[in-house]
Amino acid sequence: MEKKRLVPWSVYFGLETEFGISVLENADIDVVEESIHLVRSASQLGSPNLWDYTKEDPHQDARGFRAKELRQDADEANFFSQDRQRPYSFEEIKSDFVLRNGARLYNDHTHPEYSTAECSTLIELIAQDKAGERILEECAKASSKKRRHTVCMYKNNTDFAGHSYGCHENYLIPRLIPWDRLVEGMLPFLITRQIYAGAGKLGWEREDHGMLGGYQISQRADFFTELVGIDTMNRRPIINTRDEPHANPKLYRRFHVILGDANLSEFSTWLKVGTTALVLEALQYERIPKRFFLADPLYAHRSISRDPKFRWEIELAQGGRTTAIELQNEYADWVARYVDLDHPEKEKVWKAWKETLRTLSSNPYELKDRLDWMAKFWLLQTFREDQNLSWDDPWLQSLDLEYHLVDRSRGLFYALESAGDIIRLTTDEDIFQAIQQPPSSSRAFVRGKCIQRFSKDLINVQWDYIAFRFNGQTYRLDLASAFPGVDLEVYCEVIDNAKSVGDIVKNLNLKPMGN
Amino acid sequence: MLMPEQGQKNKQMIPTPGPGGGSGPGPQAPQVEKPNTEEILKRMRKVDPDQARRYRQRTGE
Repeated sequence: MEKKRLVPWSVYFGLETEFGISVLENADIDVVEESIHLVRSASQLGSPNLWDYTKEDPHQDARGFRAKELRQDADEANFFSQDRQRPYSFEEIKSDFVLRNGARLYNDHTHPEYSTAECSTLIELIAQDKAGERILEECAKASSKKRRHTVCMYKNNTDFAGHSYGCHENYLIPRLIPWDRLVEGMLPFLITRQIYAGAGKLGWEREDHGMLGGYQISQRADFFTELVGIDTMNRRPIINTRDEPHANPKLYRRFHVILGDANLSEFSTWLKVGTTALVLEALQYERIPKRFFLADPLYAHRSISRDPKFRWEIELAQGGRTTAIELQNEYADWVARYVDLDHPEKEKVWKAWKETLRTLSSNPYELKDRLDWMAKFWLLQTFREDQNLSWDDPWLQSLDLEYHLVDRSRGLFYALESAGDIIRLTTDEDIFQAIQQPPSSSRAFVRGKCIQRFSKDLINVQWDYIAFRFNGQTYRLDLASAFPGVDLEVYCEVIDNAKSVGDIVKNLNLKPMGN
Repeated sequence: MLMPEQGQKNKQMIPTPGPGGGSGPGPQAPQVEKPNTEEILKRMRKVDPDQARRYRQRTGE
């Protein structure tokens, strides 16, 4: 990671990844049971049962209303009903940990989920995301030893049989950007960015079934059937309207992107989040030109993913055709008119964006050292030729799965990386630091340090506050305005110098909440 | 919420993935050096061909 001073972006971003889990020796394992044991293996890195669920409301819709019910409510009720039969409490099943690096690790819908600490620089986000992989790799080892079988963790998005799980991106942006402008501006961008952000998949799927044959560039494109909506488990939308800012709701909106793939490549994650943040920033100033609008976004989303010739042609709403590469190029040029690129990370991302698009149009195979979908495609192509297999051979799908294994001694992505065939943006030392310490330029610093030093005094934690007990009274440290250049620096200094929670109360002049 | 221009058009058949990305008149097959190909092939040959068939998960978000 760059050691020079990190210049924060004006937004916070974070990633929440649901991991796949299996046991090598037994295909019929109870994944919930395995997930509980796996997550609890992280106990040395954090504190359990602090998460405050009372302020969460996934029914709140960005379009200005509260949804009566989500399509997934029935599924979730079914899961909870099944899980109630187990000899565990709700807290034990959730196994919700707040980690010393400011992240959250817990069981969500049976998948171990790692939510990175919020970051305001991309390079910190990449290190925090990789820290999550390493933590789950260690958890799998510990759980394997304890349970006397081999627990495998996959950072992917599908079981190839119609069951998908997500890698969601979060961007905390000003609420003053009109929602309509966000929807129209992000639809064509999100649909076409898969040409560099996709993780690649062999075969195709519908809800509850999958088919072999053919390679597509996105893991998730098969699962999106709506343009705009609040659901995340059924009939998933390209634009998700969940409105939970985890910050001052009058000032901020958390733009929740659910269609992305889970990337192993640091470069893919960096470019995916960086370009998305740039477009969101430009949308603060202007609408996208109407010539960017797609004739049929849902069709384009899947047809780009499935195009075997990598031409990615799309039909425009105003008539005529273009390609995903051309449209992304237009987005990049448009962004440059509004975003101040005299910022080290923004400039780097923008240049890499243009360069990647240039290479995608000339020789996409050159990108096998940085784009997941191309690295995987090269692996499968190489193996297919070696073994004389057809593209619908199930062995190739097993290799696809193995690409995503987070065990670095066996996973195929890590085989490429350790051979020096994948470029890196971080070092092992950066990742080790990100396991142990929160990012320095976001409110996660305060959360992480409180977990490290005052966990016995904490009552509960949310993204935007920490509640603790001091002298028999409850105090709440509100992080709603803890942004770089606002209150963050003051909070960080107080936490850094505090010998006890009493020092926090005194130096931030906190008042008791009453009990 | 959507611009009228972005409304979904009536049914087009979504293509299934082709017989293998990159075949046909698209980009040429990889013309890249393959250092360590034997090492990675060795690791790939060890992967159980039935692994993906046995891998089943609950739907997540």
